[in-house]
Amino acid sequence: MSITILFFGATADATGNRKIILNEKGCSNAGDLVEYLRQTYPKLRLLRLLFSINQKHANGDEAVNDRDEIAIFTAVSGG
Amino acid sequence: MDFCEITTEPIDITGVARRVVPPECGATVTLDGYARKFTKSKESGEVRETEYLVYEAYEQMALKEMRKLVDQAKEQFEISSVGLVHRTGRLAIGETSVVISVAAPHRKAAFAACEWLILELKRTVPIWKKEVYADGEKWIEGDAEQRP
Repeated sequence: MSITILFFGATADATGNRKIILNEKGCSNAGDLVEYLRQTYPKLRLLRLLFSINQKHANGDEAVNDRDEIAIFTAVSGG
Repeated sequence: MDFCEITTEPIDITGVARRVVPPECGATVTLDGYARKFTKSKESGEVRETEYLVYEAYEQMALKEMRKLVDQAKEQFEISSVGLVHRTGRLAIGETSVVISVAAPHRKAAFAACEWLILELKRTVPIWKKEVYADGEKWIEGDAEQRP
């Protein structure tokens, strides 16, 4: 299993990464994956996290599949 | 006729507005959103002075979300075409960060659609703003109640 994780703005600062590749077998859904990342990068715990799967907003119940692109971010603030 | 773009270059506002002038239309409403110097903190009410802004986009997804908004706006309002351009990177105070131009046969629908588009853009399009102050910086978090 190979999942691409992208970070933007506050989450990129909190993790020191913009992109990582995860080969984690224990994450069956997006919520598990976010929890795993919170443990790996404790600074993420200070943020209210939202995320997308394959460039669509997601809420956590969605299954995570091989080669998915998951982005982790805080509430958007463009405009 | 419709277009959505993300650019690091300064936005030519009139250029965007004039790209959406179909013959059946009588009015184009254009929003010029630009970087504000003084921002009141939602938490403390304290007014902070911003030196410059940095915008970052999840570009591929942002463009998809922008196109989705244009399609939805055209279903909901009596409008003909929409141009949506967002700038990223470093912006000085007063520089334009977003331009939305909506052309319609009659102005009322264009005003309504333009307002709807900026509200939805701020709620759903994955772009983030960082305010940089003399003594620090902060990634701005959108309104949590407005999460998609």
